[in-house]
Amino acid sequence: MEYFYTVVILMALYVILAASFNFVIGYGGLVSIAHPVFYAIGAYASALLARDMGVPVILAILAGGLIALLASVALALSSLRVSGDYLLIGSIGFQLGTLEVIKNLHWTGGAGGLSNIPSFLTQTLGPQAYVAFAVAVAMCTVLLLRWIAHGPYGRAMSAMRDDELAFAALGRNAMVMKITIFALGSGLAGLAGGIYAHYFRFIAPGQFDLLQSSALLTMVVVGGLRSTWGPIVGAIALEALPQAITFINLPPSVLGPLQGILFTSLVLIFMFVRPQGLIAASARWRGRQEEAR
Amino acid sequence: MFSLPILAQILWTSLATSTCFVLFALAFALVLKVNRIFNFAQAAMMTVGFYAAYTVIGLAGGPGWLGFLAALAASVGVAVLLEIFGFRPLRRRRASSMFVFIFALVISELIAYVIMLVYGTWPATIFPSLFWPVTLVGPVAVSQWDVPAVVSTIAAIAALFAFLHVTRSGQFMTAVADNPDLAEFYGITKDRIHLITMIVAGLLTGLAMFLYGSRAQVQPMSSIDLLLFAIAATIIGGIGNLGGTAITAVVLGIVQNASVLFIPSEWQGFLLYVFLFTAIVFFPKGIRLPERRLARSTPTPSIGADEAGEA
Amino acid sequence: MQTGLKVTNLCKRFGGIVVADAIDLDVPAGRIVGLIGPNGAGKTSFFNLVSGVVAPDAGQVMLDGEDVTGLKMAERARRGLARTWQNLRLFPSLSVLDNLLIGTRDYPGERLSRLALQSGRIARDETQDRLKALDVLERIGLAGIAHTDIVNVPYGQQKLIGVARALMNDPRCLLLDEPMAGVEGQAYRTLQSVVRGLAASGVAVCVVEHNVAFIRDLCNEGVFMFAGKVLARGDVESLVADPRLTELYFGT
Repeated sequence: MEYFYTVVILMALYVILAASFNFVIGYGGLVSIAHPVFYAIGAYASALLARDMGVPVILAILAGGLIALLASVALALSSLRVSGDYLLIGSIGFQLGTLEVIKNLHWTGGAGGLSNIPSFLTQTLGPQAYVAFAVAVAMCTVLLLRWIAHGPYGRAMSAMRDDELAFAALGRNAMVMKITIFALGSGLAGLAGGIYAHYFRFIAPGQFDLLQSSALLTMVVVGGLRSTWGPIVGAIALEALPQAITFINLPPSVLGPLQGILFTSLVLIFMFVRPQGLIAASARWRGRQEEAR
Repeated sequence: MFSLPILAQILWTSLATSTCFVLFALAFALVLKVNRIFNFAQAAMMTVGFYAAYTVIGLAGGPGWLGFLAALAASVGVAVLLEIFGFRPLRRRRASSMFVFIFALVISELIAYVIMLVYGTWPATIFPSLFWPVTLVGPVAVSQWDVPAVVSTIAAIAALFAFLHVTRSGQFMTAVADNPDLAEFYGITKDRIHLITMIVAGLLTGLAMFLYGSRAQVQPMSSIDLLLFAIAATIIGGIGNLGGTAITAVVLGIVQNASVLFIPSEWQGFLLYVFLFTAIVFFPKGIRLPERRLARSTPTPSIGADEAGEA
Repeated sequence: MQTGLKVTNLCKRFGGIVVADAIDLDVPAGRIVGLIGPNGAGKTSFFNLVSGVVAPDAGQVMLDGEDVTGLKMAERARRGLARTWQNLRLFPSLSVLDNLLIGTRDYPGERLSRLALQSGRIARDETQDRLKALDVLERIGLAGIAHTDIVNVPYGQQKLIGVARALMNDPRCLLLDEPMAGVEGQAYRTLQSVVRGLAASGVAVCVVEHNVAFIRDLCNEGVFMFAGKVLARGDVESLVADPRLTELYFGT
């Protein structure tokens, strides 16, 4: 039963991560792979606030999201000024650099990881309560992002992706919009980080590396860019798949690369064979198909 | 604080070490200039080149020259495959640059994972030992690695510039870089030029990775870090400016190596990210020297709509 | 205070190419000024400089007596400067109506914070803008295709939609870049009357057009540009009749 709870919580967290990542790269058209690092920042910030400063866990989780949001604004402000390409380069550098910092500082637990993170709900109300909490946050995230994407803001995001110059010439502020999208998406990832930290009570920099980036990219691309349910299906399917592989009892030195190969080749196959993903985006403001550009 | 000989020693070693960085950066800058691709897949070319040489020399005990040829062949092979089965079809279907970007990055990761599965994650070196015999030249110790590295790098750069300026293919490359549509108009087939550019980048990458791998340990994921270094040099050097890129790579290489004196060794790896963000935040369009202001530079390929393309 | 658009000493060069060479030009409110000149004369570049796509090397752009030279493109649009594009630049993933809605001067859903805190007001504003967009479409005779995807609309009508989108701004100054290329018949007459109506209501209109007949029918006066310079200004009829200008236009 414990195992089942763990899997459901992980799925809920991946739903938050994939949905918010889809918001950033799909709806916002912002190419970044640093989503896991905002997840990491949220996790570390929340864990340290609760463990070392005695902040109540629920506030620590919210603060973790906020700190991830602020970090993402700093990254977006510095790299988006020039062009979208610099965001991807900046995001890779930011991800690897931040993980490098976490590895080298002693108060983050270094490469060995941070343990003894205070738990939340599990001890008082039982693990079921935490499952409900994670699932509720995941559902709220999906509904919130869907509401934004289908309203007037979604229309504007679509226009911005289509033609940024014409968009700006009509008086719309594309830069503010991009930063808002990036900040919201990254803040949600930070929130997920806090939820992760206080359930598993141990985090290490290795959990947020490029493998995690590939996994999220796979969930979104395989599930379907810019569709509400695609990334959710992607998240659940791709969370279940590696779980299934773990049953085969492979040594970790084989398992890690194998998962990496699985994720990256799935992205490649879907990019070339079925760019719309498993679930194609609904007709409303779908955006041009990639091939049509 | 430091005596002159120590300073000279550091300078020389840093200079020698930075040779491979120069080649990585040149390969990256060339593909960006001519093919207008941020070629993250260069990390895949680097990784495969290194492991080819490692297999021939480190594992099979083959001779050095054979390993070197294997590195060149492997890097070029990956470059050609990437161009023909990846970038070319994507260009044909007018894929957005975000799409191309993700493709290149994911290929690099895929190759890294495949290598991990085959060779494991432990660091490897091409030759059994990383230590090369040393000769004293005045007060400075010059290793047997330093001289061939510097000489071959200079030779490669000279060959590259001769190729670009003397041969027809090279001139076509410059033409495509400056104005792809006009080049097409004059009957230059872009596909062929793009392929040649990738081959040249493959040669530079293979040579550089052979040099790097015979002096430092390499892991399947190392190439991504090495590539970020090349990207920082490309940005600071001014995108499209090969000379600027090469000089920046030397300077950054020297700073990184000399930094042992100033910062704790565990933070040395972090310096790379400092370079990268310095490049993005302070020199996004490169360092412009006053007399170079009118030099032509390739516009940054951008994801958004092209600006004012209708004068 | 002078109303309308006033440009003084506008200069811009790209490398060795001069696209604007000390341009002085004013378009008073309520007037329609046509820019003519051969390809590469700097007409579109002039629009790009005025609308803020590119920053000038020197010079000043004034809108209704207010200096907008330092402002970004979006800021200028929010002060009532609207333009269309030679190659349209409509949003292909949106419908006709949605294309127009994005052009509203204060687009209600642009800020996420407002969306969260004042959703009721935004819904009201959206309804109002929707009615306005339908009204604009009605005026150009395209109300019937409001909900069609833009990619399924014929080119001639797309041109009109480009103008309609600019009208959503309630502009004080409107720059039209080759509005007539590819437009025929009824649409041609509709566009003429819409632009006349705008000018009559006090909008300063500047038109770049190769179709001399259109310029002659529509514009109060013409400006002849060549190599980034304003060479002559006056009655369109006399500009067209001037042999020196004709020679420059068609080359020697």
